Amino acid sequence: MVDEEKLQELKKRIQAAKVTNTPQQKTKKESGAGFGFKISTEIIAALVIGVGIGLIVDKYLGTKPFGLIIFFIFGALAGFLNVYRVMRRIEKQ
Amino acid sequence: MAAKGEKHSPLEQFEIIPFTRTEIGGYDISFTNSSLSMIITVAVITLFLTLTVNARSLVPTRMQLISELMYNFVAQLLTDTVGDNGKKYFPFVFSLFMFVLIGNMVGMVPYQFTFTSHIIVTFALASVVFIGVTILGFVNHGIKFFTFFYIPGVPFYMHPLLIPIEIISYLSRPISLSVRLFANMLAGHTLLKVFAGFVVAMPFFTGALPLVFIVALTGLEILIAFLQAYVFAILTCLYINDAYHLH
Repeated sequence: MVDEEKLQELKKRIQAAKVTNTPQQKTKKESGAGFGFKISTEIIAALVIGVGIGLIVDKYLGTKPFGLIIFFIFGALAGFLNVYRVMRRIEKQ
Repeated sequence: MAAKGEKHSPLEQFEIIPFTRTEIGGYDISFTNSSLSMIITVAVITLFLTLTVNARSLVPTRMQLISELMYNFVAQLLTDTVGDNGKKYFPFVFSLFMFVLIGNMVGMVPYQFTFTSHIIVTFALASVVFIGVTILGFVNHGIKFFTFFYIPGVPFYMHPLLIPIEIISYLSRPISLSVRLFANMLAGHTLLKVFAGFVVAMPFFTGALPLVFIVALTGLEILIAFLQAYVFAILTCLYINDAYHLH
């Protein structure tokens, strides 16, 4: 019983230590440029993949230029989705 | 100076200089300054980690403390993002984190090549993460891993639109992961060299101004070097987490 109490107390102390220690890491504010960079790479990466798939589809299915157009749009939308996810992750922190 | 054939491009530092010329099966596997830089990085990591924790003292020395801090940092990162499942991936994430971190730091030493400023290096690292995580997803979930691209609770007519978007978003991961690290290092080192050029080019003592700026910028670069290694590690953790928990 005493051990149980001790354990509980230790748990509380660990929790308290965690609370006081973690903000140090997470309040590390990013610079505006770094933030913009993160967002732009997400959009660009998705667009690169979208355009790449579009070009491949066009090449092998002979659907020039519709594959490129469609997958470019998909890529752009995927880029927005990526940005949305990044923003949500930042907000969580 | 230019007449002597000296180059003063700020991009000169990224040039790959082969020390040997080896070719096997049509592939160029020359030992270059990039390879040397990587070997130095691995040697620094190995020596530092083994030598500092060699004493295994209960009350750590300063150097041992640094090693333990790094260990704890990555271990904490894994438990925070992946949970208990993450323990298995500690060696992988720790190696990756240390390789990128020390690689960036070795690159901060003057005259030293920065291998993380080459997209092919970062892309190879990101590909390892991406392929590994995809295999992990299939091992854990089998064919059900494909439901990762299926978002529940969306009207059925939206799926033809959303599934390609999800797949593209998934495929774009290695690119965004590699481009972020590569571009940060490339931009930072180029900026340093451009300002270094100003120091020489500006008349009289006004060159001291950019020199002061370089000192500040070097500090910032070291911060970015750490931050990018951290981002690389945390994103790897998040991807591993995704391979365990679909949505």
